[in-house]
Amino acid sequence: MPYHEFKCSTCIPERKNHAVIKGPGEDLTMALPAGYLSTIPGTISERGCAYCGAKHVIGSPMKDVIHLSHGPVGCTYDTWQTKRYISDNDNFQLKYTFASDMKEKHVVFGAEKLLKSNIIEAFKAFPNIKRMTIYQTCASALIGDDLNAIAQEVMDEMPEVDIFVCNSPGFAGPSQSGGHHKINIAWINQKVGTIEPKITGDYVINYVGEYNIQGDQEVMCDFFKRMGIQVLSTFTGNGSYDDLRAMHKAQLNVLECARSAEYICNELRVRYGIPRLDIDGFGFEPLANSLRKVGLFFGIEDRAEAIIAEETARWKPELDWYKERLKGKKVCLWPGGSKLWHWAHVIHDEMGLDVVSVYTKFGHQGDMEKGISRCEEGALAIDDPNELEGLEAMEMLKPDIILTGKRPGEVAKKIRVPYLNAHAYHNGPWKGWEGWVRFARDIYNAIYSPIHKLTLLDIAADEIATDTTFETQVMLSDAALSEETRNAADLRQFTGQFDGLKSLRGKTYPEFEAKTAGAA
Amino acid sequence: MDDLMKDRMDQLLDHIMKKCLWQFHSRSWDRKVQNEGVLSKATQLLCGEPVDTSTPLAKCHWVDALCLVNDYKRRFAWVSQLKPDEIKEIMQALHERLDHLTITGSLNLELNDQHY
Repeated sequence: MPYHEFKCSTCIPERKNHAVIKGPGEDLTMALPAGYLSTIPGTISERGCAYCGAKHVIGSPMKDVIHLSHGPVGCTYDTWQTKRYISDNDNFQLKYTFASDMKEKHVVFGAEKLLKSNIIEAFKAFPNIKRMTIYQTCASALIGDDLNAIAQEVMDEMPEVDIFVCNSPGFAGPSQSGGHHKINIAWINQKVGTIEPKITGDYVINYVGEYNIQGDQEVMCDFFKRMGIQVLSTFTGNGSYDDLRAMHKAQLNVLECARSAEYICNELRVRYGIPRLDIDGFGFEPLANSLRKVGLFFGIEDRAEAIIAEETARWKPELDWYKERLKGKKVCLWPGGSKLWHWAHVIHDEMGLDVVSVYTKFGHQGDMEKGISRCEEGALAIDDPNELEGLEAMEMLKPDIILTGKRPGEVAKKIRVPYLNAHAYHNGPWKGWEGWVRFARDIYNAIYSPIHKLTLLDIAADEIATDTTFETQVMLSDAALSEETRNAADLRQFTGQFDGLKSLRGKTYPEFEAKTAGAA
Repeated sequence: MDDLMKDRMDQLLDHIMKKCLWQFHSRSWDRKVQNEGVLSKATQLLCGEPVDTSTPLAKCHWVDALCLVNDYKRRFAWVSQLKPDEIKEIMQALHERLDHLTITGSLNLELNDQHY
């Protein structure tokens, strides 16, 4: 596996260690991109900071919490509303963001008094919310404000409230991943074990590393509930602060995004003996295997099999409609961390896409090990690419679509490469069987949108045909298909709901006979 | 090991590397426990031997092993034709190769970090 040097980065020779092409017959011991290192001076990284990784990615999806940043207002503003981690309590955590709004004078004279008054003011403004997280930022960390002391003062004065302090200023790691690590460890140290939950069933899990992007968590919890499993907490999407204080009482940690949340799973295993089961919630086969494994762990695999059979029968004809039309399309799989390995094999197997590149902005070498193992030969794996490298890769690989975040996504648009937002999604949820077809539909819509042909035309210079009418996606996608495939009666386009979450909220679930006398 | 067995071992290994996650825990000591736990139980299942599931960790390993064995039997018809000593030979070689790829030969610099 040769390391790859970008032409645009020959002036930054260290960058050569960060890109590898997966060659035929080669394996992970021959080359692996460097990762989780401080960005090299001179390369303009597209990473987030450790504060962002703690607050925006992990902390803020908690739904019944005032999330307050102790620092300049820009820190909180820039980590607000750009990821769609919705919740079933009217999206409180998305609607509001809080900051102590430090100014220069506070850097000189200290901002602890300001912080305390802001905490109290926020609780008074939202009297129904009794939980708060406070995030350290670079400015408040550098002047040495003692957040823990202030939080404790407030909790002493207002015993009905509980406050979590996350000490992960922006400079506390090479990327947002440093913040993931810090908040994982801080949460288990400060909060886990401080509340005793009500156990309502025989089978109790924590669902870890799931952030409810456009409802993913609610889709997955629906499956677990249909199996009679109590989801004690979700770390952290649509998760409740107090539920997460009770993580120590689960029998199993079901881990989705190992990149952001394996730390707390590992610590729960060491401190409380709760095992960790890694799963893939995306794609028909990986999701089926995931539910099957959870079912096997509890001895209720028949319940999992019933769901798998029902969902597969319902959605497979629709997935296959898209697969016929996406076969051989080239994709650059450029998400943040875990999706590069959650998706690398299954979008090839189940949608027919060819992954020509995987990258991660902030992932570790472990993520690259998984991603490179799962993608096909010839793929270019890049760690922490800069914008020019991204452009050079797209010019070299000529992808039909890239799945990435909004920063590189907007760059791709400028060179007429369609992109889907892999972080916040376009039209999620993308988990579950229906979600996976919805994802295929979004990819199809992006690749075959007639707009891409139109944007390549220059109306001032090019000859514009006037004897042709409009084109549709189906006209474009079906042109090369056989008659048999085009008219296959057993295949159909997506027929799912626009908002499937409405039917999940308030849904009633089957009651299973309790295995133990103690269970309700 | 002859070429046929080597080729079959590569197929089993490729399946693990493409489809599984349990071999990629973040520290070398965890990877050793995972590889040993899952592959030893998978070998027992393939040989029809009893499997210990008495602890939560053992049960997790058994779950991953059972799914792996079922996939192997579904994808590779020759698996069900192997005799127990052939199964043990190929699974031993698979274990050594997987340890090499994910632990001893791995270029992942975080594997030996002392903390999670």
